[in-house]
Amino acid sequence: MDSLNSSEPPVFADIKDAARQLRGWARRTPLLENTILNEQLGFRLVVKPECLQRTGSFKFRGAFNKVSRIPEDMRAGGVVAFSSGNHAQGVAAAATIMGMKSTIIMPKDAPKAKIENTKALGGNVVLFDRKTESREEIGEKLQKEQGAVLVKPYDEPLVIAGQGTIGLEIAEQSKEMEMTPDVVIVPAGGGGLVSGTALAVSETIGCPVYSAEPDTFDDHKRSLEAGSRQSVPADAYSICDALLAPMPGEITFSLNRRLLAGGLSVSDDEALRAMKTAMLSLKIVVEPGGAVALASALTQKINLQGKTVVVVCSGGNADPEMLGRALAMEIA
Amino acid sequence: MVDFDDIKNARDLLDGQVLRTPALASPGLSNVTGAEIYLKLENQQVTGSFKVRGSYVRMAALSDSERKAGVIAASAGNHAQGVGYHAARLGIPATIYMPANTPFTKVARTEALGAKVILEGESVAESRILAEQAAGAEGKVFIHPYDDPRVIAGQGTATMEFLEDVPDLDALVVPIGGGGLAAGCCIAAAALNPDLEVVGVQADAYPSMYQAFRDEPPHGKGATIADGIAVKEPGALTTPILKAHMKDVAVVREADIESAVQVMIDVQRLIVEGSGAVPLALVLAEPERFKGRKVGLMVSGGNIDSRLLSSVLMRGLVRDGRLAKLRISLIDMPGALAAVSGIIGAKGGNIVDVLHQRMFRDVPVKEADVDIAIETINADHVREIMAALEEAGFGTRLLSDMR
Repeated sequence: MDSLNSSEPPVFADIKDAARQLRGWARRTPLLENTILNEQLGFRLVVKPECLQRTGSFKFRGAFNKVSRIPEDMRAGGVVAFSSGNHAQGVAAAATIMGMKSTIIMPKDAPKAKIENTKALGGNVVLFDRKTESREEIGEKLQKEQGAVLVKPYDEPLVIAGQGTIGLEIAEQSKEMEMTPDVVIVPAGGGGLVSGTALAVSETIGCPVYSAEPDTFDDHKRSLEAGSRQSVPADAYSICDALLAPMPGEITFSLNRRLLAGGLSVSDDEALRAMKTAMLSLKIVVEPGGAVALASALTQKINLQGKTVVVVCSGGNADPEMLGRALAMEIA
Repeated sequence: MVDFDDIKNARDLLDGQVLRTPALASPGLSNVTGAEIYLKLENQQVTGSFKVRGSYVRMAALSDSERKAGVIAASAGNHAQGVGYHAARLGIPATIYMPANTPFTKVARTEALGAKVILEGESVAESRILAEQAAGAEGKVFIHPYDDPRVIAGQGTATMEFLEDVPDLDALVVPIGGGGLAAGCCIAAAALNPDLEVVGVQADAYPSMYQAFRDEPPHGKGATIADGIAVKEPGALTTPILKAHMKDVAVVREADIESAVQVMIDVQRLIVEGSGAVPLALVLAEPERFKGRKVGLMVSGGNIDSRLLSSVLMRGLVRDGRLAKLRISLIDMPGALAAVSGIIGAKGGNIVDVLHQRMFRDVPVKEADVDIAIETINADHVREIMAALEEAGFGTRLLSDMR
């Protein structure tokens, strides 16, 4: 990839390049498992906990890979991003590290905690009214007037390559553990994380990779089945606030349709139960959207018996209320 | 006695039997504390605590006839899990004594590993006496939770790994119950990094080692969230090791331990049990002591009950002013409650629970108290809502405990 603004899908070399770029900045999250849980499940469940990543989600990887490549002479304009959640925090943290300003455009009704976290990471938060204002207009104005660089959340080759370092790490760490994964399952919203991870896995481990989504936001699953991008109804609802993109990205889907073995989906209750298992058995905090791949494995949406299964827990930015709700779930 | 060679041997023995747990740099906790924080994640260890290290090293040394006869231990917690887990894998029959009032979930968890559980004794200390007696009578080996050279050597491997990953720590903070983990830590640290300050911490409900350092009699009592280190008597073997390596032992308050569990969740997204949060509790309580230094925290375990975890989370919301309970006095007439809820709603508070008391309160018959639980943004928001209610003539008192 030569250009900062390429729209060509990334290739494996771009992921290796991203890994070099992220070294020392993104954390190499460990692979975790619970022997006793494995025995109960009848398969080996290995978790890649991106909730332990800087800013509490994988988003820092892609954001830093993009932001850190902005040439010196363009840095004064800062960066701009639209997000009410994890992407906002990833971009704000990456910009602050690079000594750049970041403007994060968030809806007025975004959770206060996420607004506060984004500010704490150095982001300049601009609130807009979903009903009366267009965030795109605000963003374009900033780009034009200040020369700010837009950092898209998923349909962006450098961002996809950054998220792909997770797949690269899974391959390296599996080797170190003398383990051969049979299946990898990754949460999907816009599809940046799963496409990057699948690209790295296809060139290393070579095992099937599945996307995981909420039942009500199963646009990847249906798009993969149909062979073209499908969207969810406008009134769709899920507690998985990190995964509410209405349809797969254009670039991400061009990779995913070629690389994914299929799409899995889970109910909100299954995601909550997976959050509880994550807390009690794996000792990590995972947010609802971050737990959908884990939930797909725990409920065995595909036959996993006897296999080695790697799931990405993509983020941990859940409110205590949501964690309490998960802990109140019954687990059989 | 125990020396570093014993720990190195234990390390070889443990290869493939327990996990080499990750060490994690924590920029988030570094921000919060002002120290450069690294975590050794023994909450990720098999069975959720470091205890499997020592129990394996001890049981691997049993003779064939001892293995056949079986082992006995006394514990309702992590030591029970550690002994039970390895006994099952080594094919050794295990009997675990627990106090009669042990919660069913703890019994079930140990039984699930294949151990036999006997519920006898009023406390862990009493169960231990009964277990030792039974071991003598039945010709079985009693596996001590800390006062055993092999157990100490096994626990020392956690520190050995930690210092391989982060060799240049300035301080290493480690919880102390009976002192097995801390003793192993001192020996490993002295060999690998003699300049490293090892800081031992206890819960103030059970300050037995702190007292031993002052030649005071131990007097621990009561309930603590750090039940893993609620040990009344310091170890006979571990105490001299700690005295030889440490200047003193620190003590943290119950509220600080609870906060540390919450901070681990909020900032680091890790689930840590009370005793595993004690090192962070100390750094949060005494930041000046650690400021600017490279500090390792031994996160000794993550086995916290889901109900206790829920309580910590909810109490955290209350402390942070994100959940508040107000008692509001109002004239007992139609519309008063609607006016109150209108004011709260207009200020952006979300009412989650209402208790209207007029039948059983000691208030005049024409007045009524209403207790309202509201979701709020922070402490300032709570104060803002209270001021608005007062201004409208409704006497308002905060019932919840806010920082």
